Amino acid sequence: MFTKSQIEQGVTLYTRKSEQFKTVSFSIKWKSELTEEKAAARAVLANVLQDSNAKYRTQGELRKKLDDLYGTVLYTDTAKRGATHMITLNVDCVNDEYINDSYVLGETLELIQTVIFNPNLVNGEFDQKIVAREKRSVTERIRSQYDNKTSYAQKRMLENLRPNSPVSTSSDGTEQAVQAITAETLLQAYESMIANDIIDIYVVGNIDEQEIAQKLKELLPFKARPSRQQQAFKTDEHKASGDVQHVREKQEMKQGKLHLAFSTPVGFHHPDYSKMQVTNGVFGGFAHSKLFMNVREKESMAYYASSSYSSHYGYLYVMAGIDAELEEKAVTLIKEQLSALQNGEITDLEMEQTKALLTNSITSTFDSARGQIEVFDQYKELDENFTADTLIKAWEAVTKDDVKEMASTIQLEIIYLLSGKETASNE
Amino acid sequence: MNKIHFENLQETLYNETLENGLDVYILPKKGFSKTFVTFTTKYGSVDRTFIPHGKEEAVTVPDGIAHFLEHKMFEKEEGDIFQKFSVLGGSANAFTSFTRTAYLFSATDKVYDNTEVLLDFVQEPYFTEETVEKEKGIIGQEITMYDDLPDWRLYFGAIENLYHNHPVKIDIAGTIESIDKITAAHLYECYETFYHPSNMVLFVVGAVEPEEMMTFIKENQSKKTFDKPSEIVRNFPEEPNTAAIAERTLEMDVTKPKLSFGMKCTNTNISGKEMLTQELAVDLLLDILFGRSSSFFEESYEDGLIDESYSYSFSQEHGFGFAMIVSDTENPDALEAKIRKTIEDATTSWAVTEEELERVRKRKIGQFMRSLNSIEFIANQFTRYKFNEMDLFDVVPTLEKMTLTHLKDAFSTLSATEGHTVFKVIPAEQSNEAK
Repeated sequence: MFTKSQIEQGVTLYTRKSEQFKTVSFSIKWKSELTEEKAAARAVLANVLQDSNAKYRTQGELRKKLDDLYGTVLYTDTAKRGATHMITLNVDCVNDEYINDSYVLGETLELIQTVIFNPNLVNGEFDQKIVAREKRSVTERIRSQYDNKTSYAQKRMLENLRPNSPVSTSSDGTEQAVQAITAETLLQAYESMIANDIIDIYVVGNIDEQEIAQKLKELLPFKARPSRQQQAFKTDEHKASGDVQHVREKQEMKQGKLHLAFSTPVGFHHPDYSKMQVTNGVFGGFAHSKLFMNVREKESMAYYASSSYSSHYGYLYVMAGIDAELEEKAVTLIKEQLSALQNGEITDLEMEQTKALLTNSITSTFDSARGQIEVFDQYKELDENFTADTLIKAWEAVTKDDVKEMASTIQLEIIYLLSGKETASNE
Repeated sequence: MNKIHFENLQETLYNETLENGLDVYILPKKGFSKTFVTFTTKYGSVDRTFIPHGKEEAVTVPDGIAHFLEHKMFEKEEGDIFQKFSVLGGSANAFTSFTRTAYLFSATDKVYDNTEVLLDFVQEPYFTEETVEKEKGIIGQEITMYDDLPDWRLYFGAIENLYHNHPVKIDIAGTIESIDKITAAHLYECYETFYHPSNMVLFVVGAVEPEEMMTFIKENQSKKTFDKPSEIVRNFPEEPNTAAIAERTLEMDVTKPKLSFGMKCTNTNISGKEMLTQELAVDLLLDILFGRSSSFFEESYEDGLIDESYSYSFSQEHGFGFAMIVSDTENPDALEAKIRKTIEDATTSWAVTEEELERVRKRKIGQFMRSLNSIEFIANQFTRYKFNEMDLFDVVPTLEKMTLTHLKDAFSTLSATEGHTVFKVIPAEQSNEAK
């Protein structure tokens, strides 16, 4: 689906001509190993690069330039996959043919070059004031996770489950690691990102692929760097003991946030990966799944009760918003749904529904440029020639026995409940 | 079937109003594999006092009923409708807003079968006292979940402050107490009043063959009988231009204070082109005064008054409208003062230039083009526009005609201080021991 061209060793360009969109979308991804320190430095760096550069020194100047380019969207983000940290520069500009101007694509390309290669350096280092400001922003982003109870509960569950591991390491690092950053260490992080990271560049839109490839090679003169695979997380590192951790925490809040993690040796690179995707779908991935039907519909206990498969770490997570006093009942119900799968209590209808919705979800993802980029960037690790059809065929081949077998590898490791204070006094 | 071609956008829209009154729109999109269908009724949380179908006296129904009805539509005697969609590979959903209830699915296969399920389940009500009771637990958890979301409380708190009487100030889902009063009879009464085809719009967008799809929809509809359409009479209370409450503070377990600043729009008895012009003019004006390239934004971000959570928006429907600025902030008082000062400065010495207008106009046109990549956006916005007698595809021409006078007029509907309010969420005293 993408045309691949090697710019330099370790720097790859993927282009895709498509008339589907009224915009041209770019993603440039820098991949490196995931540690707390690196994540923190790169999160701050991503912010600094997004807000100013040597040509447009202030946010106002840069944003005005973007307005003039018909609101070209330009932002950076950070993410993690397995033991890999990723910084992405995302840019979307309107295709010139839909407006009465013809400069947007050309100037957007130049702006991308400026953002990457002309950072806002004063006397050879990042502006202290901007560094301080963006350290504050990232710190506040990390802190504000506390305010969203669902995401806070998930974070706390992961920290209890696997401390000091990529599983629980945030792609923004920690407050402490962010505090330790100086203008000097930030510059080192920048230089390392430009010189050493594995770089994947994506372009999707109604473009002349050869012309844009040529342009990008000129504009983005990255040097060769050692190639390496993305760091996979070893899913066999899971805890050996069969003990289930049980953690309860309290805040001032009304709803109980129940989060569970189940480990499985089947991860993204495992040959049974697609079988586990189907298993998760039957278990709690959709509105027809066992968790939704039994915890929400039959018992009316929850507005949401679902599972998700974190394939890069070999975990299935379950989350439900419940009345905290019903914790025990909810946990029992959730465990019962897993036992049902392990006993092979799976209907043809459940299999059919799950496969149909997995199919719908992958084909729908391909209906957005960013969806095409993100899915390809992930699956190319397995097979650069994959298509939606390859994935659909793999799901089609999964049987009820496969699901039963997959379910038998799933082991509960932790039950985490975040709940309001009143229930504390009742216990 | 009507066919409208938009040359600049390279889009063609097909439309027909069926015999039963249902408005159908079909927009084929080249290159897409997904089809997205929304079936929407002009009935939302604000429609709480009305004359029920076939009656003469107005009634007031329990709060949260439109949303409750939306939930209950998915349950039938033979079971759960999600199951039917799932087996056809359709990913279904629904939502209730202040003024609309929408049912929708997206599918890449079996589009006609999915469309049939959608049309049929929305047009076949089935409510029993038992299933209504059961739903109260699920919706109760939904309400509790929103109660724990500081950002939702912040947003809604400002709306509650702004309105004296208008039901927009009532939470869409209602309260645990109000939904407890809902019965199956209520649901039938609301259903029969608001779910007539003449009060609904069906929008199909994506990988679709328009002629065939229209024929399919017509056949489905011709099999069903409906009462003659009757005019829906909704009653809304008088609403002053002033904010009902100037300021309120709520304590929650948060790490950093949050502030929302609401501005009540004083020109809301409008629709059609006038409404579209006002809406776009306010959007452009907010970009100029409070957008990321404004001096307000730059100074506030520099001084730590706002952070990455900062946002601003304008919402309007027939009968109400408000602009909102929200952010987490270490210093809510200073941020409030700065917002007030920015509005005051624009009031006393209006200084918006042609150059600024041109810049944000370009930005908005680009943003609109980009949003046309999203078939979800098209379907949802198109229907909202239709219900307000506006047309989504008039956005770019309207932006092109926009003048500084339009912006100034739009500003004057929001700038009066007595229509402004502040809502704060601040860390509760106990929050430290909780951590």
